[in-house]
Amino acid sequence: GAAMLRWLGSLLCLWALRIPAGTGAAAPGLDVASYRERVRAMFYHAYEHYLESAFPYDELRPLTCDGQDTWGSFSLTLIDALDTLLILGNVSEFQRVVSVLQEGVDFDIDVNASVFETNIRVVGGLLSAHLLSKKAGVEVEVGWPCSGPLLRMAEEAARKLLPAFQTPTGMPYGTVNLLHGVNPGETPVTCTAGIGTFIVEFATLSHLTGDPVFEDVARKALKALWKNRSDIGLVGNHIDVITAKWVAQDAGIGAGVDSYFEYLVKGAILLQDKELMSMFLEYNKAIKNYTKFDDWYLWVQMYKGTVSMPVFQSLEAYWPGLQSLIGDVDNAMRTFLNYYTVWKQFGGLPEFYNIPQGYTVDKREGYPLRPELIESAMYLYRATRDPTLLELGRDAVESIEKISKVECGFATIKDLRDHRLDNRMESFFLAETVKYLYLLFDPDNFIHNDGSVFDVVITPYGECVLNAGGYVFNTEAHPIDPAALHCCRKRKEEQWEVEDLMREFYSLKKNKKFTLKRASDHGEGERAKDPEDAPSEKGGEKRNFKKSSHSLLSCPSQSFNSKLAVLGQVFLDNT
Amino acid sequence: SCSRAKDVTMPAKLPVNFFSTRSPVIDLFRGQLDYADHLRQDSEIVLYFFYAPWCGQSIAAREEIEHVASRLSDQVLFVAVNCWWNQGKCRKQKHFFYFPVIHLYHRSFGPIEYKGPMSAVYIEKFVRRVMTPLLYISSRSKLLDFLSNYEPGVLGYFEFNASPQPPGYLTFFTSALHSLKKDYLGTIRFGVITDKRVAEEISLVHSGSVYLHRHVNTSLIYPNDIMNYTAENICKWALENREMLIRWLRPHGGKSLLLNNELKKGPALLIFIPYNPLAEIHPLLDEITKVALEYHNCNKSQAAEPDLQHLGDTDSPAFDSSVPDAHMKVSETFSLTKYPCCNTVVLPQWHSISRTHNVCELCINQTLGVKPNKVHVPHCNFLEIEAALDSFYLQERTFFQVISNTIECSNFLSFYSPFSYYTACCRTVNRHFLSFISSEKTIFQTPKVAFSSHGKKGNTQHSIPHIEDRNCFIPDLHITGTNITGLSCRTNKTLNLYLLDSNLFWIYAERLGASRSTHLKEFAAIVDLKEEVHYVLDQNRSLVGSTLENFIKNFSILYSPLKRHLVDDPSVHFHEQRVITEVTTNTFHDTVFLSEKNVLLLYYAQWCGFCASLNHIFIQLARLLPPDNFTVARIDTTRNDLPWEFMTDRLPTILFFPHQRKEQSVKFPEDFSVNLPNLLKFILHHSSLSSSEPCTKECLHKETVLQQGHISHLEREIQKLRSEISALHQAHGQLEAQLSEARREEHKLQQQKHALEKQHKTLQLHSERLQATHDQKNQELLEMAEKLQELADASENLLKENTLLRILVASREGRLQSKDEIKESVQSEQTVSEDNDVSVSTATATLEEKRIDNIDTIQTEHSSGNRTE
Repeated sequence: GAAMLRWLGSLLCLWALRIPAGTGAAAPGLDVASYRERVRAMFYHAYEHYLESAFPYDELRPLTCDGQDTWGSFSLTLIDALDTLLILGNVSEFQRVVSVLQEGVDFDIDVNASVFETNIRVVGGLLSAHLLSKKAGVEVEVGWPCSGPLLRMAEEAARKLLPAFQTPTGMPYGTVNLLHGVNPGETPVTCTAGIGTFIVEFATLSHLTGDPVFEDVARKALKALWKNRSDIGLVGNHIDVITAKWVAQDAGIGAGVDSYFEYLVKGAILLQDKELMSMFLEYNKAIKNYTKFDDWYLWVQMYKGTVSMPVFQSLEAYWPGLQSLIGDVDNAMRTFLNYYTVWKQFGGLPEFYNIPQGYTVDKREGYPLRPELIESAMYLYRATRDPTLLELGRDAVESIEKISKVECGFATIKDLRDHRLDNRMESFFLAETVKYLYLLFDPDNFIHNDGSVFDVVITPYGECVLNAGGYVFNTEAHPIDPAALHCCRKRKEEQWEVEDLMREFYSLKKNKKFTLKRASDHGEGERAKDPEDAPSEKGGEKRNFKKSSHSLLSCPSQSFNSKLAVLGQVFLDNT
Repeated sequence: SCSRAKDVTMPAKLPVNFFSTRSPVIDLFRGQLDYADHLRQDSEIVLYFFYAPWCGQSIAAREEIEHVASRLSDQVLFVAVNCWWNQGKCRKQKHFFYFPVIHLYHRSFGPIEYKGPMSAVYIEKFVRRVMTPLLYISSRSKLLDFLSNYEPGVLGYFEFNASPQPPGYLTFFTSALHSLKKDYLGTIRFGVITDKRVAEEISLVHSGSVYLHRHVNTSLIYPNDIMNYTAENICKWALENREMLIRWLRPHGGKSLLLNNELKKGPALLIFIPYNPLAEIHPLLDEITKVALEYHNCNKSQAAEPDLQHLGDTDSPAFDSSVPDAHMKVSETFSLTKYPCCNTVVLPQWHSISRTHNVCELCINQTLGVKPNKVHVPHCNFLEIEAALDSFYLQERTFFQVISNTIECSNFLSFYSPFSYYTACCRTVNRHFLSFISSEKTIFQTPKVAFSSHGKKGNTQHSIPHIEDRNCFIPDLHITGTNITGLSCRTNKTLNLYLLDSNLFWIYAERLGASRSTHLKEFAAIVDLKEEVHYVLDQNRSLVGSTLENFIKNFSILYSPLKRHLVDDPSVHFHEQRVITEVTTNTFHDTVFLSEKNVLLLYYAQWCGFCASLNHIFIQLARLLPPDNFTVARIDTTRNDLPWEFMTDRLPTILFFPHQRKEQSVKFPEDFSVNLPNLLKFILHHSSLSSSEPCTKECLHKETVLQQGHISHLEREIQKLRSEISALHQAHGQLEAQLSEARREEHKLQQQKHALEKQHKTLQLHSERLQATHDQKNQELLEMAEKLQELADASENLLKENTLLRILVASREGRLQSKDEIKESVQSEQTVSEDNDVSVSTATATLEEKRIDNIDTIQTEHSSGNRTE
């Protein structure tokens, strides 16, 4: 306790000192179009060299100009970069790659693959490519979006992961052999994110294919984590999936946990699911209580809540973006501005940054061109239109070009202190970093569609509205159209009900009793199961949940002072 | 090679020039800090630009620095140092958290860090101030100039006649430099007086005294006796005691609570003007300063007056009138301005087609130094009104273009008298109103004010333009009854005044509702953070002192006529073909309340995840509902303010406004999930009209209309079903094709299976045969082995026999030989034969073993040969 207090003291001092020392005011007018073109050029520099020197390996090695398999043997960079091609508007290359993948990728291979990585990169990448393929001008099957070659590939890949979920707790193993299932003697220790990062892809798969098994295993794993949270409402870093004992008890929002929280929110949005949201809100409360200090988020012991690492991790920078999705824009912006100072110090975000010392942490000085801070900037720019966020984009383009561009692509920065480079270009550079940068500089991109345009597709299940915006990005930046989830089998059930109701609109003598009855009971039938599912292991929680004055699936309106909360200005909550 | 390549790393690229070689900036791109220090010896003023080559902000600032350097290179040394290169001295010695960092040195004094905007004009201004931190106040008029400035000023009086370096001067000079270090907290100007007579103007008599000028409170003299006379102390003293009547807000771009702290002090007037720090004169700023001084001038202190005068009429030759006199005049004038004279003016129609007219209240409004005899006249002098009209028509062209229902006021200076200005408040009326102009009381339904009776009657001219009877008053003219002077102390809604440079911070103005299209970036808004409202000074009026004054007055009076400003999204355009109607602040009332339809309104924000994922549901709903009776609309609440009663605190919120009962809007219950059936039920429930009355003709007509609607709906449905069926047919066809393909494949597979089975059988036969031969071979081998064994045995026997025979032969031969020998040798020969016997038996044993080995290896070779076969 004493140590922490002392530490906190130094932290606050540090901030008191650093705040007035900002660098001059924002240079007005940043040429967004020219930066957008520079990002496009970055993409092609890396993409073309991958095709030339590394394909069909997973990744490009930019210093030696060759390729290597890293997460399996799926031509991973190609799958990951596929939807970025469309976002950049390159329809023909998208079409070419789709056919290449259909022919060339085989999941019947004797490879030990990470369940988590295969899901977010391969399953997620294929799903989003499937859903975007019509927009990209690919000739689609009649049953699209409920069937199609890319969807079948995604399903096949996902089925290879299912054996990992066969555990007593329902929490999956971290690694699975694509041919033989879980290896005997496989470690039962999985990180939290490796357990809770499936619902977006798996629920989409279930809704599209009609096979509920994917969504079911994903939900079961989520619930197992929820059940095993500590008394103060936190989850640790690693857990034994057989015994449900926490192996690493550091609680935070970064590495090992990050996308679990992300998927609770994104799952709630995608599926309009109150249960997932109520879980997240509970966690959010505990995170604010125990880990948040001066708009930083630290690492604490999950049972006691004492600070274990006063460290900011590069991976944590997704948090402001997530907050903006649920309307906590003010807090998001404040945290973002903290993170941005770290970028300004090094030209990138070190994997670990010691906050009180204001410097990198030993052996964690690298920056593998991660996307998280840029991702948050993109979300926040949607919400605030603050030019500061474009400046982060500008800084990212300048830094990455100056520091990590080499003959054959863009190399991971091994050490941010001296900008030494490593022989790797992770597939998320093209899947996420470049994509979010481009979207930040392209406010008119179809991904930002606010619902003013949409497509109507005729499927064997009826008429379907698609591409109306609201894309949910999986944690590897693969966008999922939420409308597509209402397109396939489920759509048919709804249709007859809607047709009956429509008849009522055209009858003058309304059967009042009928209407009233229907109106008063609406929702009850289908939400009936909800309270059961709702997190209710702990006494009284259920009542609280029911009592809440507003819907869980809503954002607060922005406050008056948000009008002036730009160019670094932040406002304190209460007057 | 794989493991070797894994360890491949590459050191950072070597640094290269950041500035071009032709640049006036010396670029030490290897971070040679020692050389940078060395360079400093040669120049009086040095600017260091510490950068990191990868840093976006450094790159953006590079051009600005170059620009400044090109203008000042003859007087200032500009040195850029790469403070990132990890082999460089700079990186090793300095630890920066951000780039670029700009340090300035005035000879040995420094570093002075520049923390202002990264814009060339601001940097240049700052460098110039470092070059000459003290202004030389040589004359009385310069003194007045200095004192009338809105920024606090510190003056030192030093007698240079006695010595070339009067005591304390250096300290004073240093304190001026020192204040530049704190410049980001607000500029303090430093001046030096050397002339005794000028010093006497501010009652400084002793050389070495330091004076802090204040407008409202009494000015101060540095207390030498209490505080040590040091540069830091003078600076601190000035900072603590300065007056901030109006201050610049310059957010630095990093995380900051500047606006939070300032706006939480109370309501704030934010004035946005384009500002060039290098410009010699700032007329607009002077005017604003005048208003600020007036506003804060509570006790009409003596000190405030000369400044006011100086600002108010810089051209006036009458300035030399003594100070107390001016003061008296001013106070007298203020009491009189309560009674202005006003007249209604109908403006000529600018376009003959237009069915509208502008009606204006034109008032003569005199503030400062007005000839008292005229002001005492309670009603307007006709000549004066005509003069006012002239000025009005010449200056206020804008009014002719304005067609609005709101009342707009404007102030402008008179051409004829520098001391008076006119106020005109105008609004547009329809032509048919104009025909009843004689009873125009109905136009302005506002309460009369007490002094309206002072108006001049019977001055109505029916020529256009004409001045109308002024029985009725426009609300804005209340303001003339309030006085700006010292208003800050008299009102309970005291404003803090702030300036923002619209070249840098126009974004704040835009977010408060400033027009994006305007070229003139001038804007003023009152922001009340606590009440969560803001008011905006009409942008159609030029921002001058008088309009600002009226704005402040309107805010301060009890029943303020100011209306909360609602920011509207200008980017939204009406699209007829859109299925969902996009509502903005301006179209809200028309779309929701005036339309003859049921309206379902969605409050949303683009950033809110829960809203965006519902888009498709609302699109489906809008496509389903009969368009003649229903509108599905939405409003982006982030970009569109609404009156309080229509605000919502959560998003999404769905409101339903039933036709004919628009005021009875209902909210979609939050605990139900938002999907198509639920929304339809909700609408059905609340749009149900009571149709209990017996069916009349009208009702029958309604029914037919409804039925027709139904029919068209059903037709649409049929269309949909048709396309669905065709989709199904297609899918069916596809399936059929796939099925036959599959069947063909199955057939092929079957055939293949048969073929394989056949092959399998032959293979089995083959293998059986092989097995048989294998067995046979084995058998043969065994037999062979046996035979060999037999052979071995036989040969063994033969060998034995052989040896026996040899022994026999030997013994025979021996006997034959020994026949002749002596009988004594018989004993020794017996032992020899025993020896021989033993060695023979061992030899045969080893031979046997070898043979068995041989057979074994042959056998194993055979079996392995079998396997390979």
